Amino acid sequence: MEKLISVLIYLIFIVSAPLFIGIVNKLKSRLTGRLGPSIFQTYFDLKRLLRKETIYAQSASFVSRIAPVVSFSSILFAGMILPIGFYKPLISFNGDIILFAYLLGLSRFFQILGAMDIGSSFEGMGAAREATFAVFAEPIYFFTLGSLAFIFKFTSMYDIFHSISLNDPSFIIFIIVSAISVFFLMITETSRMPVDDPNTHLELTMIHEVMILDNSGLDLFLYQYSSYLKMLVYATFAADFFNPFNVQNHIIGFLLYIIILLILIGNLVWIETMMGRFRMKNIPRYLLFAASIGILNLLIYTFFNK
Amino acid sequence: MENVLNILFCLSLLYLATTTRVDAYLKVFVLQGILLFFIVIMPLINRPSVFTLILPVTILLVKAIMIPLYIRKKIIIELEVKRNIESNLQQFNFLLLTVFSMIAVFISSNMLAKYTYIDAIPFAAAFSTIIIGLYIIIFRKKLIVHVIGFLVIENGIFLLGISVASEMPFLIELAALLDIFVVVFLMGIAINKISSTFSVDDITALDELKD
Repeated sequence: MEKLISVLIYLIFIVSAPLFIGIVNKLKSRLTGRLGPSIFQTYFDLKRLLRKETIYAQSASFVSRIAPVVSFSSILFAGMILPIGFYKPLISFNGDIILFAYLLGLSRFFQILGAMDIGSSFEGMGAAREATFAVFAEPIYFFTLGSLAFIFKFTSMYDIFHSISLNDPSFIIFIIVSAISVFFLMITETSRMPVDDPNTHLELTMIHEVMILDNSGLDLFLYQYSSYLKMLVYATFAADFFNPFNVQNHIIGFLLYIIILLILIGNLVWIETMMGRFRMKNIPRYLLFAASIGILNLLIYTFFNK
Repeated sequence: MENVLNILFCLSLLYLATTTRVDAYLKVFVLQGILLFFIVIMPLINRPSVFTLILPVTILLVKAIMIPLYIRKKIIIELEVKRNIESNLQQFNFLLLTVFSMIAVFISSNMLAKYTYIDAIPFAAAFSTIIIGLYIIIFRKKLIVHVIGFLVIENGIFLLGISVASEMPFLIELAALLDIFVVVFLMGIAINKISSTFSVDDITALDELKD
């Protein structure tokens, strides 16, 4: 029964991923004074992509054919590790925090390979950028979650998030600070505003969008869906920090999860409206700042929490 | 709870190493003044009296209100200082240097705490504040940023005093605060005078000075 509910929740999770971006886009338009597309616009876009024919470049090898599928399915698996509300995730074992990072890494790796496979210079440039920023983004994850793993002496995502208790005030600050650096990670990995502009139309300034220029039809559908799903996976990861896991009520937990996600959307939209995109050379600094927050957490709580 | 304030202090240092705006430097200094106020007042909460309130309130007055106001009015607005700090070192490398120094300080203070009677986190926070203040003075070109670097070092020394000796005689602290204010005042006058002759706020121009 427990397993069945987990599967059901995860299905809802997958289906509602485009809705998340839809709400973000709608709110962003409203905040800048435009009417904006409907919150279901992302679904219509996906439906249109499904009807289109998939075309491959003449120079494309088999890598282009498997890259979208591998990229999509590895993100699908990564989402199964995260606890949603209080429900036990579908995959949970000791050390799954490493698996989570490497599944997302695999997805990015195949996206980069797929971009370079076609041989277009623009896509190669985008791939180089994606790889460069990933180098700086990965430490954020490992330092933040590593410090949590050190404190609780657990290496499973479910156990770590379930042992968070907010009795000690210094711990609340720690959780908030960790959540901030995870939020930075989310913005980078899903190529949102201060790092990358999702709506840009100039290839030279794109990071993520330029890598999927030559894809069409089902491939583009998979890439788009995986970017929506990635967004929701990271948002859930950031939201999990704030779940009051002492309260073991499933319905309250799920409602709280949705409320926290909505607050997260609010923050994201506010940042995207207020800030411009960073210059390309300033992005590593921004990412290193988030990583150094994680390092500071690690220093303080591994040396002194005895 | 004091650990929280010290962690926030360290975070403000990291922000200081990331930002490139003179205005942000001033804001971080104000924030550090407020944090120091809370750090000093936290142990006194159990035995409140007017006498113990003098030091924290003076800290708040001098560090969070008077010095920032003076710097903003007399220097930043009057001399029309450009908003970018000019650095000798790339900002990314500066941040790396800061992080590595912090790691070194935290590890060594953890070792020290085993053999001596110091609180590890406040000591580490204080020591990294002093070091980063020094880095700011070494690697930045603007005179106004040097003044703020000096003030950051002073904050670090104050924090060190709290972490090493649990209770400093508060008259000494008050005298130190007066000193700081006078020094900033004099620096303001000096920078004003220099800029009336040179019309720059860059230390590279000071090389032309000869006796």
